[in-house]
Amino acid sequence: MTADNGQYAIDLHDVKKVFRGRVHALRGIEMQVHGGEIFGLLGPNGAGKSTLVKIMMTVVRPTAVSGTMLGTPLGHKRTLARIGYLPEHHRLPPYLTGRQVLEFYAALARVPRRLRKTRAEELIDLVGLRDWAKTKVSSYSKGMQQRIGLAQALMNDPELIILDEPTDGVDPVGRRDIRDVLIRLRNEGKTVFLNSHLLSELEMVCDRVAILVQGRVVQQGTLDELTAESRRYEIVIEGSPPEWVGDELRVEKGEGRCTLIRKGADPEPMQALLDRLRSEQRTILSMRPVRETLEDLFMRAITDPATGALLKPGSAPPPRRGRRGAN
Amino acid sequence: MQTWALFLDAYRELNARKLFWITLVLSGVVVAAFAAVGLNERGLTILWWQLELPLNTTVISEEVFYKSLFVNLGIGFWLAWLATILALVSTASVFPEMITSGSIDLLLSKPLGRWRLFLTKYATGLLFVTLQVAVFCTTSFLVIGWRGNAWEPAIFLGIPIVVVFYSYLFSICVLLGLITRSTIASLLLTLLIWVLVFAVHGTESGLLMARINADMNVESLERDLHRIDEFREAAEAEDRPLPAWIRGLDQEREAARTSRDRWRLAHRIAYGVKTAMPKTSETIALLERWMISLAELPDREGEEEPPATGALLSQPSQRVDPQELNMRLAERIRARSVWWVLGTSLAFEAVVLALACWIFTRRDY
Repeated sequence: MTADNGQYAIDLHDVKKVFRGRVHALRGIEMQVHGGEIFGLLGPNGAGKSTLVKIMMTVVRPTAVSGTMLGTPLGHKRTLARIGYLPEHHRLPPYLTGRQVLEFYAALARVPRRLRKTRAEELIDLVGLRDWAKTKVSSYSKGMQQRIGLAQALMNDPELIILDEPTDGVDPVGRRDIRDVLIRLRNEGKTVFLNSHLLSELEMVCDRVAILVQGRVVQQGTLDELTAESRRYEIVIEGSPPEWVGDELRVEKGEGRCTLIRKGADPEPMQALLDRLRSEQRTILSMRPVRETLEDLFMRAITDPATGALLKPGSAPPPRRGRRGAN
Repeated sequence: MQTWALFLDAYRELNARKLFWITLVLSGVVVAAFAAVGLNERGLTILWWQLELPLNTTVISEEVFYKSLFVNLGIGFWLAWLATILALVSTASVFPEMITSGSIDLLLSKPLGRWRLFLTKYATGLLFVTLQVAVFCTTSFLVIGWRGNAWEPAIFLGIPIVVVFYSYLFSICVLLGLITRSTIASLLLTLLIWVLVFAVHGTESGLLMARINADMNVESLERDLHRIDEFREAAEAEDRPLPAWIRGLDQEREAARTSRDRWRLAHRIAYGVKTAMPKTSETIALLERWMISLAELPDREGEEEPPATGALLSQPSQRVDPQELNMRLAERIRARSVWWVLGTSLAFEAVVLALACWIFTRRDY
């Protein structure tokens, strides 16, 4: 069953959180996650990512909130039976074996006993812990803990999976495995909400992303949408730049070669340009479409456009004359 | 399903703790000690050794002997003291560990209300003591049946009594664990409060004894003054001043009454404080009250009035009979209703738990 059915899997409006009346961790989050997509949440340390995830999972109580998850109001306990969650730095009961961990949390998620057994076996295979299923999790490596944690989040066959730093401490092979699992889940129609620092990881799997800075969503959309402004074509030719280069082309000179840069994602105007260069017998070394990476996008989002300095990490400073806990 | 899962998890946690098994083995040793001790007309036997005692052991039946051993040593000393400390050491970490970041997230993100999670987890914390006391009572039941020829089902009342007693302390431990988030701090503070509760109990008992003593002193003086009424009436009829010794007695009575009123007030204050606190000692003493009647205990039957000395007035040192004082004290304590003992203690526990639950449900993790 897909989570969407024409609705948002997550639809958040005006989510605010003020800690102890003075720390404004979230300052009115607006965020929409479509059903059946992999959504990435990025942001510097202290931006409020984990607080937002914890509010969605009822671990932290919001100061103000309006919105839905899987069509029910945020904080609706029964809906959590349809959601899988892997917290950051999770701690599993050390006296339980991998299989017992899966069955315990599945029971708390109201998975019937009969299903628990079969799901546990399937997921143990999925995360590659067959040989460790009967071993206590206290002897698991960090990567294995992440794998069993991920399996735990999938025990209730959730429609929405929320993962907070799922690849933290996982080796490259493990990261690829987790990525494959996420893509498989999306192909099954499930929605995946990913909170991660690893921008390259997110870039590989996410359909849409949101960037959170100082408790606010500053950018949100597909990678194509967010990088549309930066999309361009670059042609590298030997020798000096042609004299007929107009305003639409930017030139970067190098040693014995130069690069002609044209903004836009449309390849059509490039064809005439290539024809003209060829007609002048110029050697074309390469032509490639270029767009901002997620890292570029992220760095741009956390840079103060006025000063060019990076925004300070952490939540936004309190208003100078703000009322305590006002929201 | 969720409750069962939490209990199964708690059992697995206990199973993984060495202290649980150590306590269970020690319980076995205590019960084995019961079985090793015997009573005959010459004194005590320990296994095959005879221990001659200069006491008349025939006034106490084997049944009462074993029941007393169970109540006073088994429950009163072992379960209500040493095993309780071991249980607190073992379970004080339940809540601080549960609310650790990364652990609490996994629990709260499940379709399980915070109130229910709190109360279920609290109940699982009582599992340690419940299992220990259940095993202890069952084995004691068999030993007392075998050695004392008394198949006494009332022994099993020890299970709810000890669990209720432990729950007073555990509720305090849970509240402190939630506030401090530290196992060691909550454990030490709980033990401190337990000592405080015991001190209040001791103070109240001491004041009750002093109050009864003062009551008996006044009663004795009034009896004396009643006996010399004819001297007083004669003096008044002849319009001559009262002899100095009568006036002295009057003054002594007034002083005794003033002293009695002071003890009564002091005791009332201590009693009021105690009413608001959990009654750990009285809760455990309920078992003795239910299993052994006053009449069953030696030296209670056939007690006689103290022999008359023939003197008109009692000596100050004879005004309060220590045996009667002890009897009155025991009767006063036993006269306290079960509802007062359990009801006020459970009310205290309910308040502590409600506060802890409120903190647990309101907190951000």
